[in-house]
Amino acid sequence: MESSSAIVAAKDLHKYFGHGETAVHALDGVTIGFMRGQFTAIMGPSGSGKSTLMHCLAGLDRPTSGAVTIDDVEITTLDDKELTNLRREKIGFIFQAFNLLPVLTAEENITLPLTIAGQDIDHAWVSELIEKVGLTDRRAHRPSELSGGQQQRVAIARALVARPAVVFADEPTGNLDSKSSGEVLRLLRSAVNEFQQTVVMVTHDAEAASIGDRLVVLRDGRICHDGISGDRQQVDELMRTAGVESAPVKG
Amino acid sequence: MAALTIRGLLSRKVRAILTGLAVLLGVAMISGTYVFTDTINSTFDKVFEDANEGVDVVVSGRSEFDTDQGGVSQEIPESLVDRVKEVPGVLVAAGNVEDTASIFKSNGDQIETGGAPPLLFSRPPERFDPLNYVEGEPPAGPGEVAINKGTADDEGLKLGDRVSLVGRSGRENFLISGLATFGDVESIGGATVSVVTLPRAQALADQRGQVDSIQVAAQPGVTPDELVTRIERVMPDTVEVKTGQQDAQDEADSIQNSLSFLNILLLVFAGIAVFVGAFIIFNTFSITVAQRTKEFALLRTMGASRGQVLRSVMLEALIVGLIASILGILLGIATAQGINALFKALGADLPQEGLVLKGRTVVVALLVGTIVTMVASLAPARRATRVPPLAAMREEAALAAPPTRRRRIFSWALLIIGALAILFALFGGAPAEQALSMLGLGAIALFIAVALLSPRLVPLIAGAVGAPLERMRGVAGRLARENAMRNPSRTAVTAAALMIGLALVTFVSILAAGVKASIDDTVENRMKAELVVLNKDGNFSPISPESATAIRQVPGVGVVSQLKDSQAKVDGVGGKPFGSGIDPRTFDRIWDTDVDEGPANLFSSLRPDQMALEKDFAEANDLNVGDRLKVTTPIGCCGADRKIDLTVPGIFEDKSGLIGDFMVTGPTMTRTFGQRDDDLQFIGAQPGADVDAVQARVERVLERRFPVAEVQNQSEFKESITGGIDQFLALIYALLSLSVIVSLFGIVNTLVLSIHERTREIGMMRAIGTPRKLVRRIVRYESVITALIGAALGLTVGFILGVVTTVALEDEGFLLSIPVASLVVFAILAVIAGVVAAIPPARRASRLNVLEALAYE
Repeated sequence: MESSSAIVAAKDLHKYFGHGETAVHALDGVTIGFMRGQFTAIMGPSGSGKSTLMHCLAGLDRPTSGAVTIDDVEITTLDDKELTNLRREKIGFIFQAFNLLPVLTAEENITLPLTIAGQDIDHAWVSELIEKVGLTDRRAHRPSELSGGQQQRVAIARALVARPAVVFADEPTGNLDSKSSGEVLRLLRSAVNEFQQTVVMVTHDAEAASIGDRLVVLRDGRICHDGISGDRQQVDELMRTAGVESAPVKG
Repeated sequence: MAALTIRGLLSRKVRAILTGLAVLLGVAMISGTYVFTDTINSTFDKVFEDANEGVDVVVSGRSEFDTDQGGVSQEIPESLVDRVKEVPGVLVAAGNVEDTASIFKSNGDQIETGGAPPLLFSRPPERFDPLNYVEGEPPAGPGEVAINKGTADDEGLKLGDRVSLVGRSGRENFLISGLATFGDVESIGGATVSVVTLPRAQALADQRGQVDSIQVAAQPGVTPDELVTRIERVMPDTVEVKTGQQDAQDEADSIQNSLSFLNILLLVFAGIAVFVGAFIIFNTFSITVAQRTKEFALLRTMGASRGQVLRSVMLEALIVGLIASILGILLGIATAQGINALFKALGADLPQEGLVLKGRTVVVALLVGTIVTMVASLAPARRATRVPPLAAMREEAALAAPPTRRRRIFSWALLIIGALAILFALFGGAPAEQALSMLGLGAIALFIAVALLSPRLVPLIAGAVGAPLERMRGVAGRLARENAMRNPSRTAVTAAALMIGLALVTFVSILAAGVKASIDDTVENRMKAELVVLNKDGNFSPISPESATAIRQVPGVGVVSQLKDSQAKVDGVGGKPFGSGIDPRTFDRIWDTDVDEGPANLFSSLRPDQMALEKDFAEANDLNVGDRLKVTTPIGCCGADRKIDLTVPGIFEDKSGLIGDFMVTGPTMTRTFGQRDDDLQFIGAQPGADVDAVQARVERVLERRFPVAEVQNQSEFKESITGGIDQFLALIYALLSLSVIVSLFGIVNTLVLSIHERTREIGMMRAIGTPRKLVRRIVRYESVITALIGAALGLTVGFILGVVTTVALEDEGFLLSIPVASLVVFAILAVIAGVVAAIPPARRASRLNVLEALAYE
């Protein structure tokens, strides 16, 4: 895929942890691009480099060498201030552990990125999002009063609220039961379909991977598969050929 | 973002309150000090204003400067009253006596004044009288006295009761004719007031034909200023003429000056409490920031800038500091009463009339409280900004990074700078004021450095003090020790807060022990007199010279040597050096002082026109034998320039401080310094006389005629001097205890926060069957270990500071003496403090719901 038309692109990424003999080669020459409105799942066994890849793509970590562009901006050379602005304007995050602020209500958590950026809140848009994630009657609740699935839906709305160029999701279903997982994944899917949202998701979960448009499998820091996502069986099959046991479905 | 900060603060109420308490107490002490001294000042302002009501002009003896004991003015001849009366425009003029005379009840008991003066006034003409006679009449006849109602109420005295007054001339009997209040002021502290007729007041004050001042009222249409000019024209230049208003102002200013020392002393201790509070704020914010790592990381992933993170933590500090300061000011008003009670307990009753809260007090307290809170939280806030966004992805909150090389170098540099500043202050020979501020700054640097370096000592000390606990208490001791060592810098800063208070307590106790040892040494080796007469009040207040005359008649008494003291200004020399007036004929018999330069019989040959100098004073000011000094005395005497010429016959060495910087003859001090009273009267027994019998006979004479004085032998004398030091020490301990209390809040705070962190762990321990008691015990031991680390650091630092200071003051006659018993007591108190501080957190820990604790995230 050509990086010129990609919203997020990485070129020949290398990442080493440690020095000398004990150095770990977490990324070993990864080149990849993500198109606008594309839902990509990244899979791979533990230590395959999938998390490192996402951290580098999101500007949370710097690659040892190589280049990352988001919306045509080269981000590996940005300083902290510029990275902060980049995160404000272009990136949304969804975490495995939800990471909501316990002192804020669901709605306040959702609008937090706008508050931080000092932007006016588009209430119509926020209401639309809250309705979309199905929390209209929960908007004034604190995270502690919400179930895990509800909390993650708040997190999804939060990631979408600033209309970022790309949303990075790190094991978004890792802490959820299968019912909640399904809801969360459907939400992400519809965000892609309805808002042309670009989503990059790291996951262990074959079910989760199968809902994306595209499946990338990493192994030993290299891309060993990059293609269209199939259904659950196809993903399992793919993972087996890549020598990976996908995580059992939770429930 | 601000809303988020406030919301967060509200959700962490307990720690916000505990943090606030650390600031609050220091601020309360600051505002309490101001309220206390402002109230005293305003009371005195009012007293003097009332006293001079209706008085347009005051004529008094000229005074050149105030001594540290207050104003001294020379008496003026009563004949001047008639001369004033003749001045055109004068309506009324009356002579006036103001002196002191103790009141004795008919059963012989002296009415105690708690360090305040037992005032004696002559009855002024009606229009000048500031007293309101609420019962009975003003004194009219020679046998009548009016006393203040407060004293009468306290002592159960009624109209018609018999009392005796003891002034300079001895004891005289009176009947109470009236009870009075002083203007609108209800309490004038512990002071008593007696009013008698002018001739009787003159007799009691031993100043027949002399008055202290002349009060004048102007005829209508004559302004006070005009009248001042007219009276000045006919008065000798030994006399000062002022408007009544000016006179009241001057008197009030003089009080304010003497109170400013007290103000500074109290503020220093308030400052120490604030400094200790800063450690706790720093620690609490550090812990909170560490616990909120994930939250900061999350905000950063959502595009929050470092500045936003910094501002949100600083805003939290601002709110905590501001609210704590406001509450501190309110508590300060109560503290002012506490300070008053403290002084009362220590025998110094100061007048308090209404509470004065000035705008200055509010501003200073708010600024100090808020700024200190913000400065102390700056470092933790900066640490919060360094949390990488990536931390949001990690499961475990990042552990505190080990101290960097740069920080280590900084700590050592600070330690060395602090130590050098202290050494320079002690040995550098800088002037006292500079040396003191150097010492203070050095100590601050030293404390911070020790706090920064002590994390490395924590495992060591925790091991040492924890090992016996472990042996005696098994698993609880072991876990407590491990918990204390889990986050060494947290434990270290908590302990450091306690260290400061304990170090200062130790330092002061070593200095005091040194002073006491040197007093013992001085009295044993220098005092040749067998007995000494001094004021009973324990403050070395002046005593009447008449008693010396009476004692000379007592069988067995060989010599009585009177010692007076005063201050002088010497041309070319800064400050107001203290000195003594001695009796040259008898001085060698009663005190052994070394002559450094000049004739061997320097003291017995001292002439009225001479001033011998102490060695250190002479050297510091480059004065030599044979020099002619131009000396200004408090009352100003005697040449055209109101200075007296004195020559230096010799230099003596006096490390005891008994004599002071200079020595003149007693008559010189009486005539030219205006000091009629004696400080001490030393008695040399006749050879072969039974000293105990002589003491008993002198005691009887004093009891009958001069009951304010008592006679003591050498060992009693030692005790009364060291008793004064013990009292001062008690005051310092009481003031330092505030800092120790603040540091206890620090221990509570740290433990509560640590337990909060270990919720899951405690839940697990409870789940596997650990009884509540054991959970409580583990927390308690951790607290005790922290307190003991503070004690170990504090005792060590205080010990070193104390020893170094003593060595530096060796030249002043300081002896090194280690108050071992006191130091042991301090350590035990630290343990008790640790146990007390552990109560709330231990309760919290033991009451955690097991299921909730296990599910806690």
